[in-house]
Amino acid sequence: MSTPLLELQGLSVHYGSVQALAGIDLVVHPGELVTLLGSNGAGKSTTLRAISALVPAAAGQILWRGGSLAGVPAHRLLKLGIGHCPEGRRVLSRQSVADNLMLGAYLRRDTAAIHADLERCYGLFPRLAERRSQLAGALSGGEQQMLAIARALMGRPELLLLDEPSLGLAPKLVGEVMAALAQLNREGLTILLVEQNAQAALSIAARGVVLEAGRLTLAGPAADLLADPTLQAAYLGG
Amino acid sequence: MIETLLQTLLNGAASGGVYALVALGYTLVFSVLGVINFAQGALFSVGGYLTFLLMGGRIGVNGALPGWGLPGGLPFWLALLLAAAGSGLVGLLVERVAFAPLRRRNAEPLLALITSLGAGVVLVNLLQLLMGAEGYAFPHGSDALGGLPDALVIAGARIRTIQLLLLLISAAAVLALSLWLERSRGGRALRAVAEDATTAQLLGIHSEAMVRLAFFLSGALAGLGGGLIGVSVSLPGPYFGIGYGLKGLAVLVLGGLGSVPGAIAGGLLMGLAEALVPSEASGWRDALAFAILFVVLLLRPRGLLGRRTVEKV
Ligand SMILES: Nc1ncnc2c1ncn2[C@@H]1O[C@H](COP(=O)(O)OP(=O)(O)OP(=O)(O)O)[C@@H](O)[C@H]1O
Ligand SMILES: [Mg+2]
Repeated sequence: MSTPLLELQGLSVHYGSVQALAGIDLVVHPGELVTLLGSNGAGKSTTLRAISALVPAAAGQILWRGGSLAGVPAHRLLKLGIGHCPEGRRVLSRQSVADNLMLGAYLRRDTAAIHADLERCYGLFPRLAERRSQLAGALSGGEQQMLAIARALMGRPELLLLDEPSLGLAPKLVGEVMAALAQLNREGLTILLVEQNAQAALSIAARGVVLEAGRLTLAGPAADLLADPTLQAAYLGG
Repeated sequence: MIETLLQTLLNGAASGGVYALVALGYTLVFSVLGVINFAQGALFSVGGYLTFLLMGGRIGVNGALPGWGLPGGLPFWLALLLAAAGSGLVGLLVERVAFAPLRRRNAEPLLALITSLGAGVVLVNLLQLLMGAEGYAFPHGSDALGGLPDALVIAGARIRTIQLLLLLISAAAVLALSLWLERSRGGRALRAVAEDATTAQLLGIHSEAMVRLAFFLSGALAGLGGGLIGVSVSLPGPYFGIGYGLKGLAVLVLGGLGSVPGAIAGGLLMGLAEALVPSEASGWRDALAFAILFVVLLLRPRGLLGRRTVEKV
């Protein structure tokens, strides 16, 4: 197989005396859509935050294309190709929808391509197009979620870390967002998708891993996980 | 009569412009860090003295090097520009000494009030060591203003050129800064850091660099104000910036903490109100300024144009 795009080796993270991650291993290959599942407090967001250098790793390694990311500060990661759409939307509420999207492309200088991507985002999420000059803070929760995803896409990452994009969305919208992610993945974007909505995430992912109290407890192809009895009981409401 | 009124209004708008400069300086730092930089008044003094030295002024008998001065002497415009940049650099130093160590240790942000006040006191004392406590007057006349006459006749009224320049330059600086903040890529990034520094980093914005940029701009605004006041009035002593720093703070609160248009409106209101105090009652000027502040805050607790809620991360 090709070199992994992202590889976590024995990654541990502590918040003070609380251990949030206890040595997890994870590989994401170019072009894959991998989903990271788990219940509240399992350590899913912490995994993404550690990859993005927002929290320090207490032990273990994070490799990007085989090279260590140790010492690379958070603001340099998008330049390397890692985009992160954080938990809880985090749109810049005091700036317009269009300015939020332009900030997504902050590092890029290719004006023409930026505008083409802006139109692509509006095509993907037509509701954003109608509200492009409104303040992001005035959008509904679902619209803010679309804006956060679109903003991350504007940075043209190779790997997109997505933290619970379905949170707080109506079921119909969850379907729309998942369809959009599947399409982006087909177009070549590698995605690491954190979700609590296992059903929705596994319907578009190739592989899934399950995190419980800071440890990986289950991993496999999405179809196998969907059929797994323990997962059925815990996350799929079966 | 008309002439006096015109001159009075111009004076008021001119000092209002300077107040707005100082208040905008506070606003920049407040919006990115949520704290007030109490060294702002000292940076105002620094700007005044730098302008004086750059224009060829010499150190007086009580200074560290009596009679010393920079060779040559730059025209007013250039001296002002360089003094603003120099004050911006001193502002960076203040950030490094009084703010960065606290941020690194995740200290209570309020502590920065004390450390920045301390940095300001040190700056003013250094100025006093170097320049002495005496006052300095700038050379007036056509050469100081780069060939412009000392007074202009507009609509039949004679007004002091320097007051007009004061108003124009501070208005230009305020306008340029607001446009930059609202419209440019860098301004958007600075506002992004102000709202949510973590998210800004995920977008590739170097939040720390933006904080430093805010301190530089803020110091430059204060320095510009100091230079302008020095040229138009005089430098009464190293502490002269402190009074303007406090006035700027009042304007900041008056306009609404963190609001750019508020800082401008507050500055103009304050300057005009003071100018309308007749000169026989000039001792009441500061009292009036703070009375206005008091009344406005009673009626509008968030200031003239303050946001309903001040969101900070
Ligand atoms: N800033 C923090 N300080 C202290 N403990 C934290 C902090 N952030 C997270 N934790 C703890 O670390 C553990 C993992 O948290 P994390 O946010 O990664 O969970 P999660 O899987 O994303 O949960 P959720 O689905 O609710 O978002 C939890 O026990 C949480 O309480
Ligand atoms: Mg989470």
